[in-house]
Amino acid sequence: MNPTAAHLELFRNNLRLKSVEAQNKFKKKYPHAYKFLQEKGIELGKIRQHSAKIISVGALTGTLLLAPPTGAGQLPAPTDIVKSIDEFNRDETPQLPQRYLVDTLKNVLPERTRPLSRAEEKYIESVFANVIKIPAKATLEGEHLNTTYGMIGAEQHLKRYPGDILENHGPFYKEGIAPGLGAWSYFSKSKVELTPDLIETERWYAVAQTLYLKDWASRQPYLRDWYKYRKVLLVNTTNGKAVVAAIADSGPAAWTGKHFGGSPEVMEYLGGARYKKGPVIMFFVDDPENKIKLGPVEYNDLNIDQKDLVQI
Amino acid sequence: MSMIFYDKLIILNGLDKKLKKMVTSNDELQELWTAIEEIMHHRVMGCVLDKLPQHHHEEFLNKFQSSPHDEKLLGYLKEKIDGDIEDIIKKEVKLLHKEILSELKTKKK
Repeated sequence: MNPTAAHLELFRNNLRLKSVEAQNKFKKKYPHAYKFLQEKGIELGKIRQHSAKIISVGALTGTLLLAPPTGAGQLPAPTDIVKSIDEFNRDETPQLPQRYLVDTLKNVLPERTRPLSRAEEKYIESVFANVIKIPAKATLEGEHLNTTYGMIGAEQHLKRYPGDILENHGPFYKEGIAPGLGAWSYFSKSKVELTPDLIETERWYAVAQTLYLKDWASRQPYLRDWYKYRKVLLVNTTNGKAVVAAIADSGPAAWTGKHFGGSPEVMEYLGGARYKKGPVIMFFVDDPENKIKLGPVEYNDLNIDQKDLVQI
Repeated sequence: MSMIFYDKLIILNGLDKKLKKMVTSNDELQELWTAIEEIMHHRVMGCVLDKLPQHHHEEFLNKFQSSPHDEKLLGYLKEKIDGDIEDIIKKEVKLLHKEILSELKTKKK
């Protein structure tokens, strides 16, 4: 065994031991709490999956306790939405689509990122369809992420084939290349088999927390296949920049304070060279005929440049 | 709203980068993430129950199991606990962070 593998094995074993210790200590010190949770069928170590189940049901039934948006405090009535979008499309309110999008999102979204209610998601879907002109859905074919409004963080390049190196991933070298493989391993078995489509997939890749999905473990291999290279629309809610990306890795860990990840190219486009973390909406792209290209979505001629380099 | 009411208090800065350097696959990485999560939830809930008077445990556990995401739980704890619960959780997480970093430095002899 090489020194790195031996180090990993030791660390993994020590973590396992620590985990067992923490569980035993909890069980011994708070037997009533352990019994209570056990009777409810809750494993404390998997509380995130239990929470995902509750949030998902609450969002559907509208019983979720949600912080109100910063603006009007409630969603516009359906008639107002249609009127607003009609006016926008008729150009009666001459303004940049990007400005319209940012202002609209500001009125709808809460101050801090959180899972959105289905009503909020439906409203944003119609805004995206009319302004960005990309058919994007929070729920596609019955699948839904634990959150569609969260913080995105900068990821490294992924190795596309055995022997791939950072120097092949220009022009964005600063983030480096991940030492390990992504959730779906290499993109191709060799450099020769790497197609232009796969090059684009790695260039415009996104990361989603599939590992915390309530049914991730029980619905394999279906979910693993469903999420592999699944097209998503990422919208920076601060400046309105939008990019179509493909999910090519699973993460980030919950304790990083982030919910999504973006390749160096995705992050550069969404927020500029210094953009490391910020709020975004991630919806699935409804593209059954695979006609929508990965990469930036240029939905107006000009951009709101003053907020391009916002660093949270 | 978070996924768990104390999510904003359990940020382990810089650890993920170190873990990524050790692993060769996402499966290995996720195994480490999961183990850390398991330890974290037991330790955080342990220190919450430690500070919360016993006669409130049942009420708190009921609220927790029905809405583990609800940040109002922090408000509830602030009301019932003598001391700054956010600070208490942060300190526990900091200690755990330190312990994990120390485990990372441990090499086979």
